Amino acid sequence: MSETWMIFGGWVAAGLTLFLFSFLYKDNPFFKATEHLYLGAGMGWVFQTVLYQTWIPKVWEPLRAGDFYVLIPTVLGLSLVTQFFPRISWVSRYGFTFIMGYGSGLVIPLTLSTDFLKQIGGTISPFLVSEVSRATFWPLLNGAIVAAGFVCVLVYFFFSVEHKGAIKKASTVGIYFLMLYFGAAFGNTVMGRFSLLYGRFDDLYKYSGAKYFYATHVILAALVLYFVISHFTSRKKEAEEEAA
Amino acid sequence: MKTYIEKLLKIDRRLIFLALTLLLVFPIIRPLGLPNVNLGTEVISLYNKIESLPPRTFILISLDYDPATRPELHPQAVAILRHAMRKDLRVGMLTLNAGATGLIEELGERIPRDIAPGKVYGKDYVILPYQPNPVAVLTQLGMDLHQMYDKDRNGAPIKDMEVFKGIKSVRDMGLGICITGTALLDYWIAYTGDKFKFPMAGGVTAVSQAGYGPYLQTGQLKGLVGGMKGAADYETLIGVKEKGTSGIDALSLAHLMVVTLIVLANLMMLWLKYL
Amino acid sequence: MTFIKKHIPLALCFIFGVLTLGSYYVPNKASENYLEVMNKWENIVAGFAFLLGLFSLFFSHYNKIRRKVDGWGYSLFVFVGFLIMVIPAITSKGIQMDGATLTGLGWNYRFLFNALSGTMFSVLAFYIVSTAYRAFRIKSPQAGVLFAAAFILIVGKVPLGQIMWEKTLGWTHVGISQIVQWLMEVPVVAGRRGIMMGLAIGGIVTGLKIIFGIERQYMGKD
Repeated sequence: MSETWMIFGGWVAAGLTLFLFSFLYKDNPFFKATEHLYLGAGMGWVFQTVLYQTWIPKVWEPLRAGDFYVLIPTVLGLSLVTQFFPRISWVSRYGFTFIMGYGSGLVIPLTLSTDFLKQIGGTISPFLVSEVSRATFWPLLNGAIVAAGFVCVLVYFFFSVEHKGAIKKASTVGIYFLMLYFGAAFGNTVMGRFSLLYGRFDDLYKYSGAKYFYATHVILAALVLYFVISHFTSRKKEAEEEAA
Repeated sequence: MKTYIEKLLKIDRRLIFLALTLLLVFPIIRPLGLPNVNLGTEVISLYNKIESLPPRTFILISLDYDPATRPELHPQAVAILRHAMRKDLRVGMLTLNAGATGLIEELGERIPRDIAPGKVYGKDYVILPYQPNPVAVLTQLGMDLHQMYDKDRNGAPIKDMEVFKGIKSVRDMGLGICITGTALLDYWIAYTGDKFKFPMAGGVTAVSQAGYGPYLQTGQLKGLVGGMKGAADYETLIGVKEKGTSGIDALSLAHLMVVTLIVLANLMMLWLKYL
Repeated sequence: MTFIKKHIPLALCFIFGVLTLGSYYVPNKASENYLEVMNKWENIVAGFAFLLGLFSLFFSHYNKIRRKVDGWGYSLFVFVGFLIMVIPAITSKGIQMDGATLTGLGWNYRFLFNALSGTMFSVLAFYIVSTAYRAFRIKSPQAGVLFAAAFILIVGKVPLGQIMWEKTLGWTHVGISQIVQWLMEVPVVAGRRGIMMGLAIGGIVTGLKIIFGIERQYMGKD
């Protein structure tokens, strides 16, 4: 790609970024068009990736080499699309059951091991004889807080008994532990979103340079001009409608 | 005073947007150069894990993020890759996210240019194609990866590549690192980490970082890099400051703004209620 | 017909589910071979699953254009966006880099997809700030605890917050980073582990219900 294409790319990227940001001021046609473009482009990207990295090497090439077994998953995969045709939509069940049966068979033992048994193990491990004998006070206290908090959170989620008395107290403590988790998650969320925004501004700053012929400045100025003009034209229209 | 406070509480949100924009743009134009001193312990754990691996150990990096999380995760990937290459490890890169392929190409372009100019594709590193269905891919990686991946992302056969010498499955590798903005790290932990005793580490967005505490405590994760701050920490550890570090100034100011706004709004509410 | 439409698919789900489950607990050559074939097949089947999203998007916007509903012109951009990605992909044969230079597909990713996808999600930052100011009210002890945790995280993780903490509370000799670390390693682990356990139990039960044909919503209506 030549340098001209790179500069043009800068204009395209700056334009699309600013069009999407323009929604923050007010809904407008530039935002709507770009939003729809994103939907199509996103799907187009997935389509070409799957076409060149799955369908061609994993279906087309084996078929050409005489491996007809790949027809089985191909037909099962294509059966999913019958969902859109009510009369034959039942065919899609073959594809779905194939995925669901296999998926469930895998998920059960691994969830049991990774998120269930290992987590119970992690909770009791600070109190094992080998650990206790060499641990100091603080790790043991922290381990006890984790264990107590964990049990209280489970009590909060346990709806088979009425939450009153000791159960209610434990459940209330559980809520506080959940709040601490959600608070930490919220703090991190704020951080994450700002990072993304920073990334976009960083790109806009790059495209505002002389190398890109001040793409960001020019497009931003054009957008402002559009909003000013549309502000006055809409006011004029409203005045005419009122007069009529 | 009361009406003034009520007006302030109902301020046009576009003014808040503008303030945030100015706060984020200012340090881009004029960096503050704030020091990044308190490094995350779980970032240091990953750094130490990579440091402890013998040269030519094969590590697998799953780059499962797309442009939506790029500013947080791409600097992590660059820093980890730079460290691994510096330690003379063999690196395999793959993705289970269709949107990530372009970002991996960017890394592929940067390796000979500035990340590790001396490294040779096919001998020191390789880029594998995107594969759908993470569960199937991860299960297969623990058995025989060549049954799932027979070619690289440009269609070249991988079996005879020097980088794969002695590598049949994740059992022959030293470490796996999944960098993702989705739940794919959970899949890696369960389907390869726990099942095949494969040491796993992760790079995640700040949003999901808090959720991985239990895995770190149990040792199911050997290390974790979280968000742009994590990337900055890793850059500090390897001594190469890039996008992660430069973003910290902007993050500092914007965070201060959020905390100030929340405190201010609550104080104003209290004023209205009690005074 | 019910047999073909309903019973066989349910039986297939049961067979594949039990065999896959069994292959985990009975590791031998046969179960490994079975899993290897299944992995390869599932990989291909999933390659077609995204067509559901593609068709759904196309049908919905095609209908908008056909019926000329309000704003139908914007729907044309969906198809334009799709073609903008797919045509260069075909001309570049799916390759993004030709040696050290970008192909049309690579250019599209770097300047178009990157900008669109990145911006779409970053916009949320503005709303987080605005909502934090307008709606984050500490009206209960629980909300207070939530804010305290968020506050410590936010202040403790960025250098400016750390500097301010040192200046104002440095005399306590308790570093903000130590508090953040304790928060993340102790109460956050307890809270998250409780949620994880709940999700795990739910996941296992749902998996069993699917295998035994009790849960069959994914099959659609009869």
